[in-house]
Amino acid sequence: MKPIIEMRNITKYFPGAIALDNIHFDVQPGEVHVLLGENGAGKSTLMKVLSGAYTPDGGVIAIDGYGEYAKLSPHLSAECGISIIYQELSVVNWLNIRENIFMGHLKTKKAGPLTLVDTAGMNAETADLLQRVNLGHRQPGTEVGALSISEKQMVEIAKAIAFNARIIVMDEPTSSLTEDEVQRLFAIIRQLKAQGKGIVFISHKLSEIAEIGDRITILKDGGYVGTYNVPDLTTDDMVRLMVGREIKGTYQHPAAEQYQFGDVLFECNHLTRRDGKAKDVSFALRRGEILGFSGLVGAGRSETMCAIYGAAPKAEGELLLEGKPLHIKSPYDALQQGIGLVTENRRETGFFPNFSNRRNIAIAYQLKKSSFGGLGGITNDAKEKELAELQRDELQIKCTSLEQLTSQLSGGNQQKVILGKWMAAGVKLLIFDEPTKGIDVGTKSEIYKLMRSLADNGIGVIVVSSEMPELLGLCDRIAVMAGGRITATYDIGEATEEKLAKAATGETA
Amino acid sequence: MKREERKLTTKQTKKFSFGEYWDRYSTITILALMVAVFGVLRPTSFLTGGNLVKVMEQSSITILLGLGEFFAILLGGIDLSVSSIMALSGALTAQLMVNMGLHPVVAVLLGIVVFGALIGMVNGVLVTATGLPPFIITLGTQAILRSLVYIVTDARAVSGLPAAFSKTVGGKLGGIVPVPIVVALITAIILTFFTAKSQSGRNLYALGGNSQSAWYAGIAVKKHTILAFAISGVCASLAGMVNIARLAAAEPNAGTGYETYAIEAVIIGGASFFGGIGKIPKVVIGGLIIGVINNGLNMVGVSSYYQQLAMGCLLILAVTLDRFFGASRKNG
Repeated sequence: MKPIIEMRNITKYFPGAIALDNIHFDVQPGEVHVLLGENGAGKSTLMKVLSGAYTPDGGVIAIDGYGEYAKLSPHLSAECGISIIYQELSVVNWLNIRENIFMGHLKTKKAGPLTLVDTAGMNAETADLLQRVNLGHRQPGTEVGALSISEKQMVEIAKAIAFNARIIVMDEPTSSLTEDEVQRLFAIIRQLKAQGKGIVFISHKLSEIAEIGDRITILKDGGYVGTYNVPDLTTDDMVRLMVGREIKGTYQHPAAEQYQFGDVLFECNHLTRRDGKAKDVSFALRRGEILGFSGLVGAGRSETMCAIYGAAPKAEGELLLEGKPLHIKSPYDALQQGIGLVTENRRETGFFPNFSNRRNIAIAYQLKKSSFGGLGGITNDAKEKELAELQRDELQIKCTSLEQLTSQLSGGNQQKVILGKWMAAGVKLLIFDEPTKGIDVGTKSEIYKLMRSLADNGIGVIVVSSEMPELLGLCDRIAVMAGGRITATYDIGEATEEKLAKAATGETA
Repeated sequence: MKREERKLTTKQTKKFSFGEYWDRYSTITILALMVAVFGVLRPTSFLTGGNLVKVMEQSSITILLGLGEFFAILLGGIDLSVSSIMALSGALTAQLMVNMGLHPVVAVLLGIVVFGALIGMVNGVLVTATGLPPFIITLGTQAILRSLVYIVTDARAVSGLPAAFSKTVGGKLGGIVPVPIVVALITAIILTFFTAKSQSGRNLYALGGNSQSAWYAGIAVKKHTILAFAISGVCASLAGMVNIARLAAAEPNAGTGYETYAIEAVIIGGASFFGGIGKIPKVVIGGLIIGVINNGLNMVGVSSYYQQLAMGCLLILAVTLDRFFGASRKNG
């Protein structure tokens, strides 16, 4: 069969990196084509080429019935029937379903000399579309803000159908859906297939891929691994092809299962947040051990860590560091008692854009020895320089000088500056929240090695990550959270992606 | 060997970068240009020692207000109430001396600590407690405090200040240097040390750069916000003391509109309106620039109608040059 779209030899460079290297990707009518790869493998970049947001540096995009193009524009992409439903849905909450569907394409009618909005016509058409996506019980005039995430997704699908999309790209559509909602989505996808539409399905959940996918294209670090028929691959094959290595044991100790950990360094007993985002969370961390937290977005992992660090609204529970109880009401208290947090969003909550590397590295040390909650105390430029030089050399921070602004460094080096900040302050427990988000592959592995050497030096390391390969490659033990609770804890020897994924939905293996 | 040589020569012939120069010396360059232009136009009246001292004395109130305003702007906020704090603390101190017969030293200390610091702290508490933009809070307190000035003075000037007070604060040190200049300079030196060397000064820069990061790093955001507005209040009350001493009376309309001068001094001094960037000595120069323009234009014989026009143009020009040539602007 002739593919609706065929992307050949697509290449895209970013400053200093190759984002897409000779990628092939085609979509047949009536198939679900899965796109699989780790974060940063190039899936989003490829889809942005397809949507016309990015101009490729090489390659050809052939579209059935239109011709061959070196690049697409957003307008052309839409005209060719390509519709993308992003993970962060793009519906407008304060408009109703009808207005969301016809946004930018309002139907009009003639009334004498006037052109009027044809509300009745759009309502009828919306009602029909809602039937087709099993949302018949919703009225076209319902405000979208009142719908569940799953229903909003259906509205986006309805919008795609309304404008005769031939290809619908779904970027991690199931990431925030319940099991029932996933099955409802799959039912719609099967209907769309039967109507001859091509579906591009991006997901990290391997069991879903096996269930809904027909073909699968795997990307790795911007390169093309291959395109396969889904039934020909086991989930293990998919993982192996996606990461290209045995993911276990990469940054663990050579014989991790026999490794003797030290005594308990940190203990968290029955931590419960008043706002219910963490419920009765208990765990212990031994010296030399890296403890991972897996789970879906919103499962309560970051929320638990914020509560430990004192950055969250009030929480109850008992925290023990080296056997001594901690009293933490604010990040300042946490810092004084030896706890650091590497936050998820470097730019928003990690460093100071107006500060040099020296100042960003020294700030936690300075605050720790200050008095009156940071109001008292004198800064010491010579000491700051000494601390910053030490961290720059230890962590191999690449910067033109310590007086350079941290905001001018690459993401990976910014992360190292933040790591250096906590090292300089002499923390005993360091919590990492998505430590390698938006960081290139090379720096990632450096950061993993640094984390391992922290653990070896007796500093407690806790990692929250949404990338399962990251946790499996780095941690000695992995706790899984769902709905604010820990649902399972696995030693690395017994942990698998499947078990983690299952526990993340609230079931235990 | 060859490579090293080349390295040396590139170092020697390092290209002059206007951006880098402008980043460092923009404010002092503007001041030097102003003085040069007026000096050439009026060498015998403008460029005399006596007149230059007068310019500095006239600038001292703007500088004091600007020094306080700097801290509100450093946090990415603003303090519109400085002019009213200046008037209120001046009026209350005058009444303490005139009507209650308090010793000038006691009255001045009360004026600075109670009226200046306390009112500033109220601004800070209102900002942190309500979460509203400082613009709105201080627009409100500006009006409230001005009204209080009229109420406590019955809208009449408080005159008859003790000579010991007006002769000292309004007089000259050693018969040469006007005391207002000394007050402004000492304040500037203390605050320069505070911003450059103290931990809380550093924290204020951090807070202005990224308040979220500051909170996660363990900086007490609320306490520091209150501190910044308290400093602003103290500086405004110092301006109030200087003002009543120079006039030997407390005018209820004193300082009306001066918050604009304070903001101009800070901005011409190169501070970022988005917070986190700026230096105290440059605020002093910013204040002097405003003084030189007003004095110089008078000397040249330009009608006072045109003085605001010149100020406005200079402000926009200075910030535009910063935006286009500033090498290390933070939004780069």
